[in-house]
Amino acid sequence: MSVAAYPNPYGREPYKLPAGLLAVAVHGAFFALLYFGFSWQTEPPATMSVELWDSIPSVAAAPPKVEEPPVEAVEPPPPEAQPEPEIAIPDKKAKPVEKKVEVKPVEPQVDERVVREQAERAERAAAAGRVVDEYTAKIAAKIRSRIVMPPDVPDDARAEFAVTVLPGGSVLNPRLLKSSGHVAYDNAVERAILKAQPLPLPPDAALFNRFREMKLGFRPKE
Amino acid sequence: MEVTQDLSFIHLIANASVLVQLVMGLLLLVSLMSWWYIFLKLFAIRAEVRMTEEFEDAFWRNPDLNHLYQGAKGGRGDQGALERIFAAGFAEFAKLKKQHGMDSSAVMDGTRRAMRATYQREMDRLESHLAFLASVGSVSPYVGLFGTVWGIMNAFRSLANVGQATLGHVAPGIAEALVATAMGLFAAIPAVIAYNRYSHDINRLATRFESFTEEFSNVLQRQP
Repeated sequence: MSVAAYPNPYGREPYKLPAGLLAVAVHGAFFALLYFGFSWQTEPPATMSVELWDSIPSVAAAPPKVEEPPVEAVEPPPPEAQPEPEIAIPDKKAKPVEKKVEVKPVEPQVDERVVREQAERAERAAAAGRVVDEYTAKIAAKIRSRIVMPPDVPDDARAEFAVTVLPGGSVLNPRLLKSSGHVAYDNAVERAILKAQPLPLPPDAALFNRFREMKLGFRPKE
Repeated sequence: MEVTQDLSFIHLIANASVLVQLVMGLLLLVSLMSWWYIFLKLFAIRAEVRMTEEFEDAFWRNPDLNHLYQGAKGGRGDQGALERIFAAGFAEFAKLKKQHGMDSSAVMDGTRRAMRATYQREMDRLESHLAFLASVGSVSPYVGLFGTVWGIMNAFRSLANVGQATLGHVAPGIAEALVATAMGLFAAIPAVIAYNRYSHDINRLATRFESFTEEFSNVLQRQP
């Protein structure tokens, strides 16, 4: 049978080499396209960092502050008719005042501009002091209105808290500085402080530094 | 993980984890092979179509079957599947004709069987490697996806180790993992297209071969 002489078709693939070369070429082209055609990000984007709240009490503004605010600062509480929220703002008001008052008279030949500036600054400081006092009173009133009075609290109990205030008016960990001796009352005041959030703060952000750390004292009978 | 902004292509591949690199290598190999077969089949099928047309032309223009058969046997290198089918059928027919005492239907049956056998062989040859293309088309996206999933898993695991998580910590990992998917798709898409195209072409060729077989049987039956 001459059929056995049939040529074996399997061995013949005449285009092996050109096909292989073309396949390699296709891949080379593809990778070249990826490598050159696509702009891989090689430079870091310009970073911008923004500090959102002023963290340090402005030192520059502090020293020349407040000539007579202590006098005025006493006044605002009466209109609120709430004498007792003794709120001590950690601010060295008194000391710089004394120093300034002493130093100035000694140097009488300071020219008028400086004097006027001094006066203006004093004016502004006084206004600021009024605002501060107003808002401390508001804060105290707000907290006071939220105290749920426990029974049997002696009238002379006085709970003192240190409070860190955040710019939004929220309160960071109230700390009991001095207990009233009546645990229920201490707890009631602490709950009231937390419930009073957000605390009313002056719209002027510059004044916020004076509210950052507050000492609040509360008596039951007011 | 170092937060590098250099997301160049080479870095992406070089920084990938070992398994992802293995997957990429496998996909590259598969892609190379599939493209090789794509071109191989492209040339082979094109040549087959051309030779089929040439032979059909010659067959219908030239009624001298003996002459055609000599040409088919002589030209070793450049004969197509159809020419070989013709040669097998004609050789068998001539042999059976020489044996006296066979009736014509038996001769025709034998001739047809011979052509059928050659036809099967030729179809098998034409369809070789197509299964590979089909497998690449259906499997390589999954392989690429596997590499990607693995790479992203690693990216998130390394994210757990840093305190402050930013997009910059995961982005390079995810990008290098996605390269695996890209390679899988790059291998799969041409393979699927080529597979569909070539099986269509081969089906048409098969139809042509079959109808030629029938017509050639008729021509032989009319031989004295």
